[in-house]
Amino acid sequence: MLVPIAWLREYVDLPETTQAIVDQLANLGFPVETVVARPPLTLIVAGKIVKLEKHPNADRLLVCSIDTGTGTLLTIATAATNVAQSQIIPVALIGSQLATLKIEPRKMRGITSEGMLCSAQELGFPAEWFEDGIMQLDESIPLGTDLIEHFHLNDSVLDVEITSNRPDAMCMVGMARELAAAFGRSVRMPNFTPPPYSGDSSDVTVTLESTDCRRYVAQRFSGLQVRPAPAYMRLRLALAGQRPINNLVDITNYVMLEVCQPLHSYDFNKLANHHIIVRDARFGDSMTTLDDIEYTLEGNALVNALLICDENEPQCLAGLKGSAASGVTEATREIVIEAANFNGARVRRMSIAVALRTEASARHEKNLPLSLPDMGAARAAVLLAAEGASVHAPQAVGQPVPPPATVNLPYRDIPRYLGFDISHADAARYLSALGFKMISHDASSFTVESPPWRSDIAINVDVIEELARMAGYDKIELAVPAVFDQNISSEEFYLERDIAYALVSLGYRETINLSLESNDAQGRFLRSVGRLPRKPVEIKNPLSEEQRYLRIGAVPSLLRLIEKYQRDLPLRLFEITHLFGDGEIYEEVPVATWVYARAKAEEPEWRDSGFLEMRGEIDHLVKRLTGRLPEVTPDERIVTHPGKSAAILVAGRQVGYIGAVDPRMLATYDMDGVQVYNGALFLAHLPDRKQPTYRALPKFPGTSRDLALIVEPGRLSRDIEAVIARSTQGLCERARVFDEYRGPQVGENKKSVAVRVWLRKPDATITDIEADAAIEQALKALASELGAQIRG
Amino acid sequence: MSQIAADISALQARFADALKTAGDEASLDAVRVSFLGRSGEVTALRRGIGQLAGPERPEAGRLINDAVAQMEKALIEGAEHLRMQAIEASIKSSIDVTFPGIQPRVGSLHPIRQTMHDALRYFERHGFAIVMGPEIETEYYNFDALNIPADHPAREGLDSFYLRSDILLRTHTSPMQIRIMEQHKPPVAVVVPGRCYRRDATDARHTFMFHQIEGLLVAENVHLGHLKGMLTGMCRELFGPAQQVRFRPSFFPFVEPGAEVDTTCPACRGSGCRTCSGSGWVELGGAGMVHPKVFREVGYDPDVVTGWAFGVGIERLAFTRYGMDDLRVFFENDPAFLEQFE
Repeated sequence: MLVPIAWLREYVDLPETTQAIVDQLANLGFPVETVVARPPLTLIVAGKIVKLEKHPNADRLLVCSIDTGTGTLLTIATAATNVAQSQIIPVALIGSQLATLKIEPRKMRGITSEGMLCSAQELGFPAEWFEDGIMQLDESIPLGTDLIEHFHLNDSVLDVEITSNRPDAMCMVGMARELAAAFGRSVRMPNFTPPPYSGDSSDVTVTLESTDCRRYVAQRFSGLQVRPAPAYMRLRLALAGQRPINNLVDITNYVMLEVCQPLHSYDFNKLANHHIIVRDARFGDSMTTLDDIEYTLEGNALVNALLICDENEPQCLAGLKGSAASGVTEATREIVIEAANFNGARVRRMSIAVALRTEASARHEKNLPLSLPDMGAARAAVLLAAEGASVHAPQAVGQPVPPPATVNLPYRDIPRYLGFDISHADAARYLSALGFKMISHDASSFTVESPPWRSDIAINVDVIEELARMAGYDKIELAVPAVFDQNISSEEFYLERDIAYALVSLGYRETINLSLESNDAQGRFLRSVGRLPRKPVEIKNPLSEEQRYLRIGAVPSLLRLIEKYQRDLPLRLFEITHLFGDGEIYEEVPVATWVYARAKAEEPEWRDSGFLEMRGEIDHLVKRLTGRLPEVTPDERIVTHPGKSAAILVAGRQVGYIGAVDPRMLATYDMDGVQVYNGALFLAHLPDRKQPTYRALPKFPGTSRDLALIVEPGRLSRDIEAVIARSTQGLCERARVFDEYRGPQVGENKKSVAVRVWLRKPDATITDIEADAAIEQALKALASELGAQIRG
Repeated sequence: MSQIAADISALQARFADALKTAGDEASLDAVRVSFLGRSGEVTALRRGIGQLAGPERPEAGRLINDAVAQMEKALIEGAEHLRMQAIEASIKSSIDVTFPGIQPRVGSLHPIRQTMHDALRYFERHGFAIVMGPEIETEYYNFDALNIPADHPAREGLDSFYLRSDILLRTHTSPMQIRIMEQHKPPVAVVVPGRCYRRDATDARHTFMFHQIEGLLVAENVHLGHLKGMLTGMCRELFGPAQQVRFRPSFFPFVEPGAEVDTTCPACRGSGCRTCSGSGWVELGGAGMVHPKVFREVGYDPDVVTGWAFGVGIERLAFTRYGMDDLRVFFENDPAFLEQFE
């Protein structure tokens, strides 16, 4: 909200410097986002045009004699066309600094001009918001008045952030109240006492058909003259970012900005039967607003709209905007002012449904206090009376204004929440400065009545916050809590952390990718392998198509990174993240995914050294994380090569997979000649880490034998090793396949496999005879179980 | 007999000459073979013993054995000498020690995780558990239970991605406050890191996905001083021992009193710079005392326990910590960027 310091000074005595005000607002919980400095003006006074003649040497210039109250008239030439005798206007004296220029004595076609008559623009206001030409001041301003001081023209405008619990502060009086309390000053409230009523408003009938209109004050005014509002009002509105229109419109805006009550004015004679009906929207309702936009209420708008109607049609979207049909025009002579209180939630829903938000709705939707409509109408009456209007008595319907909330606060609660104490006397002083009334107090607690304008005070902590604000949050001392005994587990986090460290130790770099993506990844799955790993979860209200789906997998994101950064091959990247799937089931699982990309290696099709690297890494990872070596078996997955994919099992449960990325999938990216491997661990499936048990190191030397076997190509190393292990009478310490070859020397449909077997006895040195006998047994078993031959 | 003795000394002389010319291990070995090998000169000499008279034979054998021992010793010494010579020679050579090294395989943690871990570490030391939670949330946990009912204007700043009318991506880590308190009786001391989502347009300072750390401490006699103490400790862990924290009044429906938390701008140490727009402070996040309505929602008694909660944006911390000027860089994952955080 734009808060002109110039306007605040009307209600409270404030420090001269902007910074002192800005700092105090921040301490109160109203941070100033920006300080809008005004152009530094000097030497501008109020003057009266006492004589006006044509310039003898220039058709388009006028020569004015200006009375600035000094006893000597100034001669000032002007090219403005809106000047007339006896107008009160701003006069820049010689030496004056204006927004865009400095005034020096100068001759205009032979006549020395002793100053300049100012337009709003020269005072630093938007030209198009004010009259074309010289700005017109009110007759009541004494001649010679220093206008900079009078209007506080050089004071900054603050853009203040107001939290949604403080609608009472969304106005100048509200800001003034807060500052007055903090600076220990009093507030000069504006005049709410209208002149004697010249009639009642009984010829206006108000019917409330919806309880979402909680209170409605209608007040009739007659004998109006539509013209520009007084200068002070126009200047303040402009500083606050509101364009001045005419006195009727400006007064409604002024009251809203001044005391927070939004007002609407209807042309009395355009309201059918002078009957105002507040009701829910009905099928077929439509309305054209003052700015000529037609609203046909359908769907959500129809459900949520609350309308102010006359007996014929809707005249206002309640709390949002009025219709052109009953709006005030130049010809309006009689109006009805509406000061109403609506259910904030209802206004908010309507505002969203019709996609329209106004200064009024921004206030209504925060649930304004019920005491406000009467105050708003009274204030408007004072201002309209000053414009010459006859004021009729207001007519209020709806809920009565409830008594303010009372809150009991035990003194002990103050240090219990704040960590520091506030004396009884200080507490009473702070609260009274903020407008609370002390109802009762004893040694242990006190009871206060909330200020009528505050709708956010209900329980003890609300009052404690008020006390803390006044004492200053910087009174809060640093303290460190004692360590608490609790049984909440951090294991899920530690597992994620351990996987991250383990992958980093293997040379992988962690990435963080956005969890929302377009349908690009799905398209690639469908084009390359014809199906999706699972049904994606869709966002119903994405900001763009780039954010329509939650990721079904991290691999497409990682492949995109490889495609983009392939200049840096080889690349090892990982991400630990939640992945989502299965459509409306909204499954969410934590997964660690890693990829290894390298330039394509020259090797026979039956060998894949990249896969072997993944295999070596997964053994290490699983052992490090679970204390056990994994079981690795052939697998089929959608993202990996059908012949180069392995499931990773621990204790019989699949905990992850490794594989080469399906080349059909890779082909959808622009990275020819790049091989990519992929592994993943499903965090929720990993068993707790088993502590290693110590095994005594062998005391007697062992021996080893290398075997060269010929087997069918489909035989798995795992099976060869297992046969050797169980057929060597317990002498085999370890059997490990360490080489493989296929080619003409071994013949079609065969492969040669080299295995090293380590043999050892626990209680004696193994002899060659024992070792050879064990190997003999192993070869027999390999021949009978796997059809393996010794390579001659 | 004297003939044998003469032959032995002649052989020893030839051996000594041969040894002298043997400049490396191979020629040394050749000398050993030609003199001491199976068909070497010593073997030939031994054969001559048979032609000697019986009583002379032992003496001749002893002479030959002595000679062989001497020669073997000389060979060992020669070998040792050669080895030392080679070592002496090797230390005379030198390499270009500034030649670039062979690159090891190096991984790295993402700067967001590093910052997150460093921030969490302080809480871990003080007995806080670190808990993870779901990113898909219900309106109940994300809003209603946190005293943000439907149509509450505070939902204004929390524009959400919806999957269904009542299911959304969490807009903050605060729903975990409810989930934890539902499952555990006080005392509760947890920090919750995680991804959050808001339906905001992306620019240098905003991304629709971001990370938060939620903190929650509930026990008897827990107050705002403890909150300030812990957040100050966290900031000192991240930015150094001079770090200060300040609270400003603010409003979040699930805390009261509520505060906006700032810390000394780490870029200028508080003197005012571009990072902090001249204020000397940077925003950390929101905090406050857990609202009694939230306690009642989870069955805690606000007359018995008090508690505080905070939510701190990790990107903002990392951003400030590393002096960055564009948040989006975090999610581009350029290896050249990632390797800056090894």
